[in-house]
Amino acid sequence: MAMDAGIEQHLAAGRHARAFDLVVPAYKDRVFRLAYSILKERAAAEDAAQETFVRVWKALPGFDGRAALGTWIYAITRNTCLMELRRRRPTVSFDDPDSTEAQHAAASIASGPAADPERDNLLRLVDTLPHNQQEAVRLFYLEDRSYETVAEQLGMPLGTVKNLLHRARKRLMELARPDEVKAA
Amino acid sequence: MNDPTLIGPCTDYEHDLVDLHDGTLAPDRARVVRRHLEACPRCRDWQAKFAILETRLAAALPRPGLSPTFDAKLQQRLAALVRPPVRSDLRAALEREHDSLIDSLRRGARRHAILGALGSAAVMLCALAAVRGLLAQGAGLVPSVADGPERWLMLGIVGVAMAVAALGWSAGRNGVPTLGMLR
Repeated sequence: MAMDAGIEQHLAAGRHARAFDLVVPAYKDRVFRLAYSILKERAAAEDAAQETFVRVWKALPGFDGRAALGTWIYAITRNTCLMELRRRRPTVSFDDPDSTEAQHAAASIASGPAADPERDNLLRLVDTLPHNQQEAVRLFYLEDRSYETVAEQLGMPLGTVKNLLHRARKRLMELARPDEVKAA
Repeated sequence: MNDPTLIGPCTDYEHDLVDLHDGTLAPDRARVVRRHLEACPRCRDWQAKFAILETRLAAALPRPGLSPTFDAKLQQRLAALVRPPVRSDLRAALEREHDSLIDSLRRGARRHAILGALGSAAVMLCALAAVRGLLAQGAGLVPSVADGPERWLMLGIVGVAMAVAALGWSAGRNGVPTLGMLR
């Protein structure tokens, strides 16, 4: 990535502040989308993105370039989100409709453009998928259906991401009512 | 491969159908899959449903964006990370200096108060001794050292001299208790 080359030049010269000034605009949207795909809530994702960049800022002088800059930043993002999920865990119950998880799902549905029962049902179906499939599905459509970007952001091989997405979409086709799929 | 009792696409073509939809299938393989699709209604049906699901998912999944204040908030957080240690270090140093100054002033004031009190006590004692000697002497102004009563007068004069010297020294050290009247 050309931007990364510029950042890495600054890093090599020890100009960490200058490098960081380039890192934020280059990565903030993708970091946010990755965080959103994991946390499923806009505000929490933005907080996680903030926390990620604070950590990047602290750790940037120690970045040794063994991994690609993006890989490193996405790993920090995933860890930040996992810590947030771990923090929430005591209140999470998949069976409880009042759980934080269920409220997040409801909030994300409610934040859509308009009341649409079919859309709501589809989002509910997505929420029934295993977490890794949910993350992959959300990120895939947020990232304009780029398998490579999803693989880089989730830190997985391309084939694993393709498999995850295939299983997820196949499951959704099985779960969706036939008339619902045909309706569109 | 076209068993109508089965549901879903033909197993051999399932992944290829997705890749064909994504446009990532190699041209040679794509030709084979298209030929298969012409002959297989089950795969055609599955592929059509898959395309519909894709469209619906792309439309249904929320696409939130960062708030416009993201950069400003981040800068604030980073600034807060940098400044507090510097500010707290400076504050701690100033507090240490202030405490040290106050301690030193308190020690000095205590010493001066003690010396002043001692000087005052000496003055009072000597003055009392002198008054007693003067009263014992009666109206006599030149005492005799050898005589008993004169001895008291001599002692009184020496005491007064010592008291004046003590007061002078104490005043020189700014240690005379003034009860705040000179402030």
